[in-house]
Amino acid sequence: MNPREEKVSIITEESTANDEDAEVGRREKSSKVQRQQRKKQPPRADSEEMVTGKAQPGQEEPEMHLLSMPARRGPRSLPPIPSMSRTGFAEFSMRERLREKLQAARSKAESALLQEIPTPRPRRLRSPSEKELETEFGPEPCKESQATSHRNDSQSYSRVKFHDAVQKIKSKPQAPPGFPSAEEAYNFFTFSFDPEPEEPTVKARAKNRDGTHQEEEGEEESPAGGMNKMVLNVIARAGTPQKDEEELLGSQDAKDFLLGLDPAPDEFVVVRPAEYEGTHTWLEKEKELLFFPSRRAVPTWKKLPENVQPRFLEDEGLYTGARPEVARAQQNVVENRLLRQEPERKWFGDDGRILALPSPIKPFSSRPRPLAQEPSAQAGLETHYKKAVKYVHRTQHVVGSADPPGSFQLDIDISGLIFTHHPCFSREHVLAAKLAQLYDQYLARHQRSKAKFLTDKLQALRNAVQTGLYPEKPHQSLDATQKTIKEYKSEIRETRKLRDAEQEKDRTLLKTIVKVWKEMKSLREFQRFTNTPLKLVLRKEKVDQKADEEAYEAEIQAEISELMEEHTEEYEQRLGEYRASYQQWKAWKKAQKAKKKKKKQAEEHPEGEAEEELYPGEEPVKPIPPELLDHAVLEQQARERAAHSRRRPGEPVLLPELSLTGSVTPDDQCPRAEVLRREDVKRRSVYLKVLFNSKEVSRTVSRQLGADFCVHFGQIFNLQIFNWPESLTLQVYETVGHSSTTLLAEVFLPIPETTTVTRRAPVEEVEFSSSQHVTLDHEGVGSGVPFSFEADGSNQLILMTSGRVSHSVAWATGDNGTPLIPPPSQQSLGFRSALKRADAISSIGTSGLTDMKKLAKWAAESKLDPNDPNNAPLMQLISIATSGESYVPDFFRLEQLQQEFNFVTSEELNRSKRFRLLCLRSQEVPEFRNYKQIPAYDREILEKVFQDYEKRLRDKSVIETKDHIDTHRAIVAKYLQQVRESVVNRFLIAKHHFLLSDLVVEEEVPNMSILGLSLFKLAEQKRPLRPRRKGRKKVTAQNLSDGDIKLLVNICRAYDIPVRKPPASKSQQPARSSRTFSDRHAASPGAHSPPHSPDTPLSQVSVRPFVEVSFQRTICHTTTAEGPNPSWNEELEFPFRAPNGDYSTASLQSVKDDVFINIFDEVLHDILEDDRERGSGIHTRIERHWLGCVKIPFSTIYSQARIDGTFKINTPPVLLGYSKERNVLLERGLDSVRSLSEGSYLTLFITIEPQLVPGESVREKTSDLLKKFDSQEDEKLLQATEKFQAECALKFPTRQCLTTVTDISGKTVFVTRYLKPLNPPEELLNVYPNNPQATAELVARYVSLIPFLPDTVSFAGICDLWSTSDQFLDLLAGDEEEHAVLLCDYFLFLGKKAWLVMGNAIPEGPTAYVLTWEQNHYLIWNPCSGHFYAQFDTFCPLKSVSCLIGPDNIWFNIQQYDSPLRINFDVTKPKLWKSFFSRSLPYPGLSSVQPEELIYQRTDKAAAAELQDRIEKMLKEKIMDWRPRHLTRWNRHCTSTLRHFLPLLERSQGEDVEDEHRAELQKQLGDYRFSGFPLHMPYSEVKPLIEAVYSTGVHNTDVPNVEFALAVYIHPYPKNVLSVWIYVASLIRNR
Amino acid sequence: MAEAHVIGQIIGATGFSESSLFCKWGIHTGAAWKLLSGVREGQTQVDTPQVGDMAYWCHPIDLHFATKGLQGWPRLHLQVWSQDSFGRCQLAGYGFCHVPSSPGTHQLDCPTWRPLGSWREQLARAFVGGGPQLLHADTIYSGADRYRLHTAAGGTVRLELGLLLRHFDRYGVEC
Repeated sequence: MNPREEKVSIITEESTANDEDAEVGRREKSSKVQRQQRKKQPPRADSEEMVTGKAQPGQEEPEMHLLSMPARRGPRSLPPIPSMSRTGFAEFSMRERLREKLQAARSKAESALLQEIPTPRPRRLRSPSEKELETEFGPEPCKESQATSHRNDSQSYSRVKFHDAVQKIKSKPQAPPGFPSAEEAYNFFTFSFDPEPEEPTVKARAKNRDGTHQEEEGEEESPAGGMNKMVLNVIARAGTPQKDEEELLGSQDAKDFLLGLDPAPDEFVVVRPAEYEGTHTWLEKEKELLFFPSRRAVPTWKKLPENVQPRFLEDEGLYTGARPEVARAQQNVVENRLLRQEPERKWFGDDGRILALPSPIKPFSSRPRPLAQEPSAQAGLETHYKKAVKYVHRTQHVVGSADPPGSFQLDIDISGLIFTHHPCFSREHVLAAKLAQLYDQYLARHQRSKAKFLTDKLQALRNAVQTGLYPEKPHQSLDATQKTIKEYKSEIRETRKLRDAEQEKDRTLLKTIVKVWKEMKSLREFQRFTNTPLKLVLRKEKVDQKADEEAYEAEIQAEISELMEEHTEEYEQRLGEYRASYQQWKAWKKAQKAKKKKKKQAEEHPEGEAEEELYPGEEPVKPIPPELLDHAVLEQQARERAAHSRRRPGEPVLLPELSLTGSVTPDDQCPRAEVLRREDVKRRSVYLKVLFNSKEVSRTVSRQLGADFCVHFGQIFNLQIFNWPESLTLQVYETVGHSSTTLLAEVFLPIPETTTVTRRAPVEEVEFSSSQHVTLDHEGVGSGVPFSFEADGSNQLILMTSGRVSHSVAWATGDNGTPLIPPPSQQSLGFRSALKRADAISSIGTSGLTDMKKLAKWAAESKLDPNDPNNAPLMQLISIATSGESYVPDFFRLEQLQQEFNFVTSEELNRSKRFRLLCLRSQEVPEFRNYKQIPAYDREILEKVFQDYEKRLRDKSVIETKDHIDTHRAIVAKYLQQVRESVVNRFLIAKHHFLLSDLVVEEEVPNMSILGLSLFKLAEQKRPLRPRRKGRKKVTAQNLSDGDIKLLVNICRAYDIPVRKPPASKSQQPARSSRTFSDRHAASPGAHSPPHSPDTPLSQVSVRPFVEVSFQRTICHTTTAEGPNPSWNEELEFPFRAPNGDYSTASLQSVKDDVFINIFDEVLHDILEDDRERGSGIHTRIERHWLGCVKIPFSTIYSQARIDGTFKINTPPVLLGYSKERNVLLERGLDSVRSLSEGSYLTLFITIEPQLVPGESVREKTSDLLKKFDSQEDEKLLQATEKFQAECALKFPTRQCLTTVTDISGKTVFVTRYLKPLNPPEELLNVYPNNPQATAELVARYVSLIPFLPDTVSFAGICDLWSTSDQFLDLLAGDEEEHAVLLCDYFLFLGKKAWLVMGNAIPEGPTAYVLTWEQNHYLIWNPCSGHFYAQFDTFCPLKSVSCLIGPDNIWFNIQQYDSPLRINFDVTKPKLWKSFFSRSLPYPGLSSVQPEELIYQRTDKAAAAELQDRIEKMLKEKIMDWRPRHLTRWNRHCTSTLRHFLPLLERSQGEDVEDEHRAELQKQLGDYRFSGFPLHMPYSEVKPLIEAVYSTGVHNTDVPNVEFALAVYIHPYPKNVLSVWIYVASLIRNR
Repeated sequence: MAEAHVIGQIIGATGFSESSLFCKWGIHTGAAWKLLSGVREGQTQVDTPQVGDMAYWCHPIDLHFATKGLQGWPRLHLQVWSQDSFGRCQLAGYGFCHVPSSPGTHQLDCPTWRPLGSWREQLARAFVGGGPQLLHADTIYSGADRYRLHTAAGGTVRLELGLLLRHFDRYGVEC
């Protein structure tokens, strides 16, 4: 029995039980209406319901009518009114409600039964009855009375009825179930159903419960049964008549129950077996209804229309897309079903499969990844835990500089080097290299096997044409087929040509290989030894002769037929053309004939002539019919070609194999030349230098060259880089033995794409070759020299050294896998998105895809399938490329829609003058740096504002020779300018760093000692006898303007001023007027002078000197003092104007102005014409005679803050009319030491008011940076220098310790590398071959002739750059260090012991001198002037010595004193000198940065002469310019005399010529009063010369009859060093 | 050829838990904007408030732009850093705000945030200082998938920016 059946049976049981209940109920209640019983009688629920359905409406309708309102209001609200009608209503309503309840209960019971929850039913039903009882409480009494009357008859009646019913049941139910009998119907309508509706229900409930608990039936009989208290209550209340009736009922009930129910099942219920259908039957039934598609594969023919072959689009090359994956069985099921369902087969494609769209499933899942993988996925949002770190001020102002600098790394893997030619190659090697190369080529070709590929392609195309000609699918349009066939054919043609070419190449290559191998073999035989292990084996591969021949023949036939076809096609075409033209020709002919006829007629009618002229007689040529080519000819052609390029049929396939298995003849069996060669090879070794941005960063180890000329390095260099790589170069160096290395070649490596990172980078080979010429004296063939394989030397070959470097360059990857690639430009201004940067580079920089046109072309050529979604972007591109024809945008837009919304175009924006001016000003372009108040409107800005700037930009590359008289200097100036600019740019960023002291002025908190001092000051003298200078407050050079800064020059005194000499010509009585006023004046004090001056005690002349100081063309002078040792003590004040009004530190440092301090003698001339007036008036003229000058550059003053000391006055070598000898005598031996020295001295104090903070050199600020990153020095050495410097600074903070310097390219170099013996020019050495001292002086003079240009001026105070001596000589400008280095190097060359002295001197400040050790004393040389001083010379400008630098060591002065007078120069004493390299740190043998030797070009004498003329002319013009109000006359005679004299001066270096010279002049210019002097300068530019001449003030005479003389002489020294002599003189004719 | 002149100052910051604060700032503009003069970025001094919790910098900003379009209106991004007693610096907040587009003086309050990091990092930050920082600072103003970033609120930076516009009306921009 299955569960369903069980359930069914249960239900039936239940229903029967229900029925039984009902039955019981019916029997119990005799008062129950007949109709109701009837209803219950039939066992079937539906029939019962039908009856009730029929009965109830009838019953309910009146009720509804009557009671509609009260019933709704509810009985409870009604007041208990004991009226009949009321009661009736109430009863009605109650009854009605009861019925409803009953109904509900029944239906509920049924549903409950169905749900198999019988138990809760009684409880539920009881509560409503309770309620009703309560509500009914009020109206009870009247109800009872009425009810009893009713009940009595009804009860009796019902009892009768019951009996009937029982009997009826007992017998046989006559009426069919469901149809009430006539009697019943009558009863139904006549009976009133007023009474006791509640009782039966209650009973029924009770019974019902009983029914469920049938065993408790017995209890039912006692009305006081524990369970039915309520029932009893009701009964009790109902009154006595009910009680007995109850009893009756009870007994009756029980009896009936037993009687009627026992036999009942037999009568009502039929027991049947559960209905059950077997599985088989089911299946069979289902089979009729259902269709199961088969899982078996459907044969293809079923799915396709009749007689259609499946067609696979994919095989035809069309893109079909990937079908979604469906299980095969599933697919079969669907196919089967579709076949059955839709016989039209519209669901099937041409290939017999179900139509399917390409798989819609994304290849990747779109579900968000688990959280754990997040950080790696989102590089942009990555955060990085940073430790709290100390502040690094370098990056402080860069917001975006989160990345630590220097995390970029480039990996260069140099695996090896192979020479394809080398000078040491023997002839055999040459051949071997060739063979190897050919073989490589062969292998490459073989691997590609292009010929085979093309052959296959040809085959495929032919097949395609075959199938295309006889198409199986008729539905394709004929047109398209034709077209494709045509295309195919043309392609066949192309392919065939290509294939033929390829095959031919293959064949020739093979031939060449064989040929070279044969040559090699013969060479080996000839020389009777072998050098290379190379061995070529030709492997023959047999082929099937017959098949081969057939294939060959077939191929040729195919070719012929194709050719034939082509030809016929062509022929057809031509024929068509021919026909057309022939037709034309015919027509023309006809016309011609007609014309002729007309002509004939025209002869008669003359008007026809005009017509004739309209047809000019160009006669179409009669076309020639084309010829059809013969088949045989074609065949012959084809065969010829095949024979040429293809392997003959039956010929074995030759496969060359190159092996290194051959044996090399050992050395002892080789001839001498070969042995020599081999030895030479062994001596050679090769290494590579890696140059990054043309700086050497590392080098490989030096490896010996193998016999096979291969070098294996296998080194990887990790370059930590800072700058964007611009160039990457490998230099191949070769070392032969122990001699020097030679640079073979440079290999330029490409900088890797940003997408190439380590481990993904392929090893590439780069070829290099060298142009060097090497001839060797052994078997080696050399390089760049011709050699030949032939015995007779014909057929010469010239091979250059060449080879290949295999390497790989890639960006390194960091720990987290990010490539360490720097942003493309390090100079990115402002903010740049790091992400964008990377993306743009990766997308744009990817090679290959950049050239859009090429790409489009390729795409068009490769016939991409347009349907393939993979090709979609490409197809779009192609559509753009093809539709736009020429317009292919070569850009893509980052900010789209930008342009559309722009106000103006960028060109317009750039054109704006105002904006340009603003930008230039903020960029601090020199021309606009201090431009103030830029106009608000463009129109107010003049175009010429930019002229200078644009001109400068233009002229950057053009060398201007106008300003510079000779071209070399112009070039140098240009170069210097460029260096300056690059240096300025380099340090621009550093310049913008401010120190705290730049920004914050903090008064020091006075500590105890200061307080004490200031207290002490109260007690000091108000006016001390010897006042001292107090320190002043420093002012930063910021908000200053014109006039704020003053230059104070305090002239104290002078010593040894030359004194006037009386006119030398004693014989001649000077004219009266020429007697100087001062002569007479001086005559009276002259009396006290000692009489030992023999010649002229009366004409004893003194000097009345005064000092004139000129600065920035402002001139001040002191009062006139008297005597050769005057004392002025005067302060002169000069306003200072900075260039362009820019008072920034940098600008102040670059001020080039000099302070000229000139000493003049004031000479008074009595020009009183008339002696008679002498008593009453004085008429004199003041003349000033220049005596000498001191020149101090402003930059020195600025950097020193003050200059205090005694300076030697530069007096001209010849000072006519003055002498100093007399002074010696006059000094009376007071100051013998001083008198020993020649020259005059001036004590000065110069300072700037207010005191400016001297600009610190940027080098100090950036020294850390520079040292760390821009140096090639050893790290240890650098550390040692730092340590050394720190130690020195600790002991003597004021002494400058110099260990490393910056060279001209900005790198830090250890200073001793500059010192190395260098050869001075030969010329100088040959002058005094036997006098070393004189040679030394000459050399010093040569060095001093190189112009001096302070670094602060040239590099705008940025740093002190040291150029090497060759650079220095090329630049022809440098400051003290360069001069000193060169001089020191020369002295070293001359064999002297020489050191560089770093110290302080006046007026230069910190400077470099040269110290030499002569036999027993030290000499100190001033490299800039060429003078030398003994150690104990008081007038030595060097005032302090801080360190000495030798070629191999540095000594720091640790003595108590640093004045050269007081120190010991013996560097071997470690107590006095602290040496850098000591026992603990030995000298590592640093190589020099200086060149091997200096090469001097002779200076062009002619050019010098020309320059001389030009300078002379220029100076003359200048002097005339300076005298605008006077006539300037030139005394030619004097000029020529002077010109002769100048070379003499040069020869004697301005010494010891005075007397002769004076005599000479005297002779020449007898009656002239002459004042003049030669000036001597190194030549750099014209401007300083002019300045110097100006400063002498020669032009400043206004004597009416003055004449001038000016001569210039230029003495050329080697290397364009020019010594300039200028002789200026003024002449006044003595009358 | 419109011009915009941004003159103002970064007044200070309030509401940071750290005390010694300084601020790095920068201005980012679109491609249409051209800086005529002034510096795009800078950094203030470190201010340790003595009274109240507001750190005052009064750092001047003076930028002169020329523009050919409205796109990419200047925006200001800020990084507030704090310096601890050892002189070490650590991030206190990132902030971002647009430069106002109407002429006149504007008081701006720019709230800031900082990346939270993992619990380990938070712990480390609390005890040894430092803290997570954005690897790419431009995330401050370019936002892609920022929900991945877990941040904590920092304080507020107060700015006072004056804006002078010129010739915008010539191109139909009313301001």
